[in-house]
Amino acid sequence: MGIMKQDLDRIKEESGKNVSKNWIRVGYSTCGVAAGADVVYQVLSEDAKARGLAVEVKKCGCVGMCSAEPLVEVNVEGAPHVFYGKVTREVAHKIMDEHVCQKKLVENHIFEL
Amino acid sequence: MKQILIQDTNGNLRKELRDFLVSLTSQLRDRSLADTVQVVTVADIGIYQKGIVAKVLPEGFVYGNLEVKHIPEIIEKTIQKGEKVAALALDRKNKQMRIVLRNCGRINPECFEDYVACDGYQGLAKALEMGPEKVIEEMKKSGLRGRGGAGFPTWMKWNITRGVSGAVKYIICNGDEGDPGAYMDRSVLEGDPHSVIEGLMIGGLAIGASNGVFYIRAEYPLAIERIQKAINECYARGLLGKNILGSNFNFDVEIRLGAGAFVCGEETALIASVEGLRGYPRPRPPFPSVKGLWEKPTAINNVETLANVPYILFHGGESFGKIGVEGSTGTKVFALTGKVRNSGLVEVPMGITLREVVFDIGGGVFNNRAIKAIQTGGPSGGVIPEQFFDTGIGYESLQKLGSIMGSGGMIVLDENDCMVDISKFYLGFCVDESCGKCAPCRIGGTQMLAILKRISDGKGEDDDLKKLNEIASAMQKASLCGLGQTAPNPVLSTLKYFDAEYKAHVVDKKCPSGKCASLVTYSITKDKCTSCGMCARVCPAEAITGSRADKYTIDPAKCISCGQCFDVCKFAAVLRQ
Repeated sequence: MGIMKQDLDRIKEESGKNVSKNWIRVGYSTCGVAAGADVVYQVLSEDAKARGLAVEVKKCGCVGMCSAEPLVEVNVEGAPHVFYGKVTREVAHKIMDEHVCQKKLVENHIFEL
Repeated sequence: MKQILIQDTNGNLRKELRDFLVSLTSQLRDRSLADTVQVVTVADIGIYQKGIVAKVLPEGFVYGNLEVKHIPEIIEKTIQKGEKVAALALDRKNKQMRIVLRNCGRINPECFEDYVACDGYQGLAKALEMGPEKVIEEMKKSGLRGRGGAGFPTWMKWNITRGVSGAVKYIICNGDEGDPGAYMDRSVLEGDPHSVIEGLMIGGLAIGASNGVFYIRAEYPLAIERIQKAINECYARGLLGKNILGSNFNFDVEIRLGAGAFVCGEETALIASVEGLRGYPRPRPPFPSVKGLWEKPTAINNVETLANVPYILFHGGESFGKIGVEGSTGTKVFALTGKVRNSGLVEVPMGITLREVVFDIGGGVFNNRAIKAIQTGGPSGGVIPEQFFDTGIGYESLQKLGSIMGSGGMIVLDENDCMVDISKFYLGFCVDESCGKCAPCRIGGTQMLAILKRISDGKGEDDDLKKLNEIASAMQKASLCGLGQTAPNPVLSTLKYFDAEYKAHVVDKKCPSGKCASLVTYSITKDKCTSCGMCARVCPAEAITGSRADKYTIDPAKCISCGQCFDVCKFAAVLRQ
């Protein structure tokens, strides 16, 4: 028996409840990967794990600001929700250090949509 | 904690920005606010040419054209009281509207639950309830037209295919995106694969097909991987196969890869390619809706078109039809590239002006150079010069200007782009990609390209422009498929708007933009040269010699006219003639 309409509704409802408050999304389409998103994703997820932070690092598609890739969207409690562009390994570390831990925004890499 | 985001949006206010920041931080310190307010310089604040711009968070007030004298007011009102300083405020409206890209960048494309959480497959559920006739009726209300370029109404395509009798029918998703500079479809396939699958299923239901095919070019490995994963996921959950969502609708999907031939975006060539034959177009009629894949009735829809479909079904055709303008409803995704500051994808409601797209969203031209035109529609489109930038985007309005909407490539050209060179590039692309089946396209294209090459080499003859027009009109009339019929468009539209530039090449043997290498010579004026040596350092041909004492000179015999010395010289000592 395949999935039914009520199953869709149930999945929708459950995922609404399970949304974590702290997350980081890394643009992981061709444009992002070509610009180095794989390294950024790796650094962010390893960093989060190593420090034992309650922040979920996720992959997503392209939001459209291809010239600013690799693009990282950060949403953690206690700091504004922003996009960081042209993120390198160093910037990724800074995002974890300053934004996620100290709740301070990282200089010179914010891109507004 | 509050934040003040700051950026110099003109790009040339380094000193002013520094003064502003110094003054702002010291005033915050004086009022003991330094620990509760973070001043952050940002890379892009989303506003352009408004001097120093500041955005205060969490309020979100945006102030423009700021000077040091404005600081006390901002601190007193906004920072301390949370009030807006109306006199400085900028009206910052997001001009984009996301329907096709609704989930791109928001969901994990490899996660089924993520898509379902964003109302995924609810459009399909509704469509199954409504039945095929009502689905087509809903599509008619929406006014959705094909986003691949031609703009044929989607409901009509489905209705025709539905009306043709046959036990077996097919629906194909055309993911053979080939226009230079266009990659909207790739992003949708990669960022939101389920939405395209859902659109394909709804289309299949509407026309009475139980087989769907994704035709994707092999150069898009990530898109193929994600679509395949999404298809597998659907099969695993019983969302593809038999009795979908408990109904009597059966649907199977497979992927076919294209080898990256531009002509295979044309529907009859695409069908040949899916069948395993050489990608040749064939004359129409019979149209694919009557005799398509394996000679069965077939509907072919573009990726972006299909990504719109679940949204339309879920939110209703009427509300979609209210977006945009009469005749061109909904939104359009453009791949904004070329000499633009923010290259990337933008999705805008139809009817928005080209100026808003290029300047307000794209941030204008890179390096603050003067804009010359935009090119839309790829090798089948044309150029639109700056004086028409206040035109609202729509299928007919762009056609009236001699270009087309096309699949969504939008390339910004600045004063350094030569129009002869641009048309040579696009025509060269079509000549390379011509399948060679029909003579008008094969021979006409080659002859036109030879003439354009001659013109840009400075060997243009008096009647060359006339010949270009003649061959172009023959190609338009006599070519077998869209590739040949539209290949001359870039040439014709540049001839129409930049006639003087062509004449300068043909008559005066000059290239005003300095792009055509054989028509420009570079030299260094001794009295302006500061002997910095930058030109000699960048010259790839080692044509520039000299020393601090003697200044520098260009050896015309070695010079390849690449123009790098001209671009790098800060003292305007390099002359281009």
